[in-house]
Amino acid sequence: MSDKSTSRLRLLLGQLNPLGLPLRQKIGVLGLAFLIALPLLVSLPVVGQFVVLILPASSWELGLYNVAAALFFAMFAMSWDAVSGYTGEISFGHGLFFAVGGYTSAMLNMGHGFSPWISVLGGVLLAAIAGVMIGVPALRIEGPYLSLVTLVAPLILLQVFIFMSDIFGGEQGLGNPENLVGLGFVSNYFLALGLFVAIFTLLWALTRSNTGSILTAIREDEDAVSAAGLSKAKFKIFAFVLSGAIGGLAGAAYVHTPVGSPTPSELMSVIVNVEVIIAAVLGGMGTIVGAAVGGLFVAMLPDYLNLVEFTVPVIGKSISSMSFFLFAIVTLFLLNIFPGGVLRWGIALGRRATGRDGGDEGMAADGGQSPEDAGTNPVAQTMERYQEYYDNMFGGDDE
Amino acid sequence: MSTDTRADEAASATTDNEVGPDDGILAVESLRKEFGGLVAVDDLSFAVQEEEILGFIGPNGAGKSTTFNCVTGTYPPTDGTVWYKGEEVTGTPPHEMVKRGMARTFQSFAPLEDRSVLKNVALSMMDDKLVTMDGLLGEFHDEARAICERVGLGDRLYQTPAELPHAGMLRLELGRALGTDPDLLLVDEPFAGLSGPEVESVSDLLLELRDEGMTLVVVDHNMRGLLQLIDRAIVINFGSLLAEGSPDEITDNPEVQEAYLGGGLE
Ligand SMILES: Nc1ncnc2c1ncn2[C@@H]1O[C@H](COP(=O)(O)OP(=O)(O)OP(=O)(O)O)[C@@H](O)[C@H]1O
Ligand SMILES: [Mg+2]
Repeated sequence: MSDKSTSRLRLLLGQLNPLGLPLRQKIGVLGLAFLIALPLLVSLPVVGQFVVLILPASSWELGLYNVAAALFFAMFAMSWDAVSGYTGEISFGHGLFFAVGGYTSAMLNMGHGFSPWISVLGGVLLAAIAGVMIGVPALRIEGPYLSLVTLVAPLILLQVFIFMSDIFGGEQGLGNPENLVGLGFVSNYFLALGLFVAIFTLLWALTRSNTGSILTAIREDEDAVSAAGLSKAKFKIFAFVLSGAIGGLAGAAYVHTPVGSPTPSELMSVIVNVEVIIAAVLGGMGTIVGAAVGGLFVAMLPDYLNLVEFTVPVIGKSISSMSFFLFAIVTLFLLNIFPGGVLRWGIALGRRATGRDGGDEGMAADGGQSPEDAGTNPVAQTMERYQEYYDNMFGGDDE
Repeated sequence: MSTDTRADEAASATTDNEVGPDDGILAVESLRKEFGGLVAVDDLSFAVQEEEILGFIGPNGAGKSTTFNCVTGTYPPTDGTVWYKGEEVTGTPPHEMVKRGMARTFQSFAPLEDRSVLKNVALSMMDDKLVTMDGLLGEFHDEARAICERVGLGDRLYQTPAELPHAGMLRLELGRALGTDPDLLLVDEPFAGLSGPEVESVSDLLLELRDEGMTLVVVDHNMRGLLQLIDRAIVINFGSLLAEGSPDEITDNPEVQEAYLGGGLE
């Protein structure tokens, strides 16, 4: 027993040594270090000017705001990935959780005078309950049918918001709830970054433990999971509740910052619901890391495009006025060349370059996924899963 | 209730078709399964004794797999009762049956295509816990590796199921079932498509498991390869019991011979 725990401790310490990390994790640590140092870097005399150039805004203050907003969006994407990327039950309406978290927290704060910190907890709790409300039906309704439920649920909520606009503020939302850490650019940036790192760490650890293997096994073959003595129902509900709670936490914290407010368009519009999926799939579905990176990319790309002054000659439109259109084009392009997500492609490339073949350990670190085999990537698995449901729907036989 | 049970036992001694909870490690009484109008299992009763190897035989479509789908909780039975280790378990979900110590292999092989042989077996060994540190640090799956070696996949640990030959898939099914540490193992058609030497090596493995105290039910559609392996056989046809006895008694049974139209049984 104690033997086992000391060897575990040694393993853990080994894993924490940054020099011993595989290349991709070194890149991750460097990226994180850069994000932490960012507010300091922009205040340095000469370096600062260069750093502002690479920020998605024209000034460092706005740059920090935009990166903070992108960090929140990345949290949304990670919460989607935790359930849909891992279990293969695709949610088309994850904004439901962001909105339940954000609106609950805003209302507790504005209507009942709770401190924003307490209000956020209330938002998390209610979003977790929303996770139960989607997760329990998910045991009976699966695949495309469940996706329909997730698609319709936020639309119903939106109608309620509009119908009872005296309470929920309709399309306009709820105005400005109190901020968690005031208006400071740096403090709000660190709030977002801290929450991002906390959520990332939690989900990363969970998905790299046995829990992650079990969730991906549900995506691959539910009967095999039952045959292994594991309750697929328990794990599915868990994934929905966890995802709901985390999406709710991100949504709640977001409305208590200057970068976000409790409005339908920011938390639960069709665009938000779809962009979250795009971010996770583009980065690499079922990896958490992919959702984090994809989320930052998807959120910041339009900001960068907005900065471009160039006007396209023939049609006479500026790049910045077409930013969403261009975003969609870039996304389609990337999805076509990297069907398994950019992350998997990058890992495979890195392995070829560094001459490591990944082996057993490498696969474990990616949550049971070998990046090379495109036939079993999560997107393909999910497609296959849905294909089965369609076949049954149109009278195919049971086998 | 208890008088009822005693009455049942008394009846079982005389009429031989009433089975009660304590008649074996697994006891099945009047099991019935209908799919729409089709009766796949028709009031079938039988018991499996501890540490025996029981052959469960019947022609194609006789209802063998369906019987075990009902016993293991994959399908809810239409009617009837199942007892395992003396407790009623009718309709208990599959993962609960596995936790109680009943494992099965799938006739149509159901491995996880997205991961290696080793990880397939490792999944069976995982605890049914939501939050755990296990696996987080990439510990080597020593026990899973031992099981892989045992079922003859020691040199294919990192291959995916798609890379395995037919016999390898069957071995993986056995490995995944053994990973759950069962007391009773239901093996559905292990010998279909295996060569003579492969049949022999799988039989040796099953015998070895029995010697270690496991109870086995081996499903097959004929007696091929089973004669040396099983202690006793049950033959079903059209979902109901046709014959029961030692391998010799079964092969000599005229009704059994008729069900197989005079051939195919051996
Ligand atoms: N899910 C199902 N839905 C409808 N009918 C089914 C289903 N499963 C099995 N059946 C039918 O029940 C009957 C018994 O099938 P079962 O698979 O139990 O036979 P078996 O004895 O295992 O045969 P085999 O030797 O071919 O494996 C067959 O007629 C089969 O078509
Ligand atoms: Mg069968």
